[in-house]
Amino acid sequence: MITVDNISKSFRGRAAVEGISFEVAPGEIFGLLGHNGAGKSTTFGISLGQLHADAGRVLIDGFDVAAERHHALSRVGAIYEAPAFYDYLSGRRNLDFFVSLSGGAPPKRVAEVIDLVGLTSRIQDPVKAYSHGMRQRLALAQALLPNPSLILLDEPTEGLDPEGIHETRELIRSLRDRLGLTVVLSSHLLHEVEQLCDRVAVLQKGRLVFSGKWQQSEHAVPLWRVESEQDARPVMERFGGVVNPAGLFRLPDAADPVEILSALVAAGIGVRGFTRVVPTLEDFYLGLMKGQ
Amino acid sequence: MTLFLHQCRGELVKLFARKRTYIGFGAFLLTEIVILFLLSLERVRAAITRVIEQSGYPANEFLSGLTLALLILLWTVFLLGSLYLALVAGDIVGKEIEDGTMRMILSRPVSRGRILAMKIVAIVVYSLVLSWFISLTALAAGLIHSGVGGLFVFAPMEKVFALHEFGPGLWRYFLASFLLGFALLSIPAIGFFFSCFDMKPAAATIITLSILFLDTILKNIPYFDSLRPYFLTARMTAWVFVFEYRIPWERILEDYVWLAAINSTLIILAWLVFMRRDFKS
Repeated sequence: MITVDNISKSFRGRAAVEGISFEVAPGEIFGLLGHNGAGKSTTFGISLGQLHADAGRVLIDGFDVAAERHHALSRVGAIYEAPAFYDYLSGRRNLDFFVSLSGGAPPKRVAEVIDLVGLTSRIQDPVKAYSHGMRQRLALAQALLPNPSLILLDEPTEGLDPEGIHETRELIRSLRDRLGLTVVLSSHLLHEVEQLCDRVAVLQKGRLVFSGKWQQSEHAVPLWRVESEQDARPVMERFGGVVNPAGLFRLPDAADPVEILSALVAAGIGVRGFTRVVPTLEDFYLGLMKGQ
Repeated sequence: MTLFLHQCRGELVKLFARKRTYIGFGAFLLTEIVILFLLSLERVRAAITRVIEQSGYPANEFLSGLTLALLILLWTVFLLGSLYLALVAGDIVGKEIEDGTMRMILSRPVSRGRILAMKIVAIVVYSLVLSWFISLTALAAGLIHSGVGGLFVFAPMEKVFALHEFGPGLWRYFLASFLLGFALLSIPAIGFFFSCFDMKPAAATIITLSILFLDTILKNIPYFDSLRPYFLTARMTAWVFVFEYRIPWERILEDYVWLAAINSTLIILAWLVFMRRDFKS
C-alpha cells in the first residue's frame, strides 16, 4: 500500500530524517512513534509531497509521490493535528473546495460522509463557530470524501477530551474494519497506539530504531515480579533469570514458572507474590529509547 | 478543463467570501464619495473652473459628471488601489501557508502548478473586478452629482488639456477603465511573486508597496527623465493615453507588452520558488 524507501531530508544542514524505510500493507493500522523532532511529521510531509526528500522515495499503490503525485495521492486522505480550514466559510463550503481538488464528489456522497462524521446539523455554520472536536470531524470528512484507501493521521487525538479520544479510536478502528482502509497514524499517546496499531515504526533523532510488531521485540518480552521477604535473586538466577533496574526478572522462554515458584518456597523464601508482567507499549518504547 | 474551472470557482469563493473583500469594496465606495465631496467644495470647483476657462472652453459644459468621474477614478486608484491589490496578492499564497490550509491543499492529488494557476486566475479576476468596480462607481457618482457633459482631461503626451464631447468622452472613459484593469495587474504580480517566498504575508505586501512607491518617486525626479521607460509605474499609466486627441495605439501596445513581460517573468519566478519550497507544519 505504502512503501517508504530510504528517505532522507535535511533542513539547513541538520538531518530531520535519515534513511527511513518501512512498508505498510493494505488493511493495516500502522503507528509512527517518536519524541518531538524525531522525524514523524517530516516523514508524513514527504509521504504527501509537501516536502522534497533529499534522497529516497515514497510509493503509494506503486506510484512515486514525487514523480506521479496525481496517481499516488488520488486515494489518500490526510488529517493533521490542528486541521486548518477557511474559518469564514461554512463547513460545507470547505468540503466543496477540498473535494474539488480531488476531482469532486457527487452531492449524495458528500451528504453521506457529513452524516457519518455527525456534522449534518452544523455543516452550514461557519467553521469559526466549530469546537476543536467538530473541526477534527470536518477534517475526517474531507479526508474520507475522495473515497480513499489510505488515511494518514498526524496526531489525530491531540487536544481532544477523553470522550473525543475514545470516539476517534473507535472511528479509526471502524474505518479499517468496515471500510477496509489502511491507516498510518502518528501519536504521542502510546496507550492509543497500543490499542489500535498492528505494527509500529519508532523514530529517534531522524533514524528508524524499530519497525514491526512491538510485542515480538526483545524489549517487549514478559517479565516477572517477585515480592518476597528474602532476596529471591540467587534462586531466579539459577533458572537463568536476569534482573533489570526496576527489579523485574527476565526469564528464558523455556523456564517453567511453577518450577521456579516451587524452588523459591523450597529455598525458604517467603513469597508474597509472583506475577507475570506483560510490558505495555510504553514499557517497550521507553526501553527502546533507553537502549539507544 | 471543467474541473480546473470548478477549482478556480472554489478559489474565487474563498477570496470573495472574506469580510475584508466586502470591506475593501465598501472602502473604495466611501473614498469615492469623500473625493466627490472634496471636488464639490466651492474653492476646489473654482480652481477646476479656472483651468477649463483658461483653456478657452465653457466650464459649465466640461465640469461635468464625466470629468469628475475621471478625477475620482485617478485619486481612488492612487490612494487605495495599489494598497488593496498588494494586500490581497501578498496574502494569496503566503496566508494559506501561514494558516496551514496550504498543507491541506497539498495533501490532495493536485499539482503545485495547478494550485498556482488557480491562484493566478483568482487574483486576476479580483483585480479586474476591483478596478472596473472603481471605474463604474466613480462614473455613477460623477454623473449622479453633476450630470452629463463633456470630458476635460490632461493629455500627457501632448501636454495640453484635451476636451471630448460626452459621447466620445464616455467611450474613452470606458476604454481607459478597461485598460486600467490590465495595467494594475502588475501590482498583484509583484505581490504574488513575494507571497511565494518564505516570508509573512504582511512582508510581501510591504515589499510590494515599497517597490511601487520607490518606483513612483524615482520616476518623478527630473534627473531620471531619460530612464522613464524603465520605471514600472510609468508603463502602468499608459491607459491615460486614450485621452489624447489621437490615441497612440503603438505606444499603448508597447507599454502593455512591456508590462506583460514583467508580469510573466514574475509569475515564472514565483512558480519556480513555489515548486521548490518545502511546506512544514
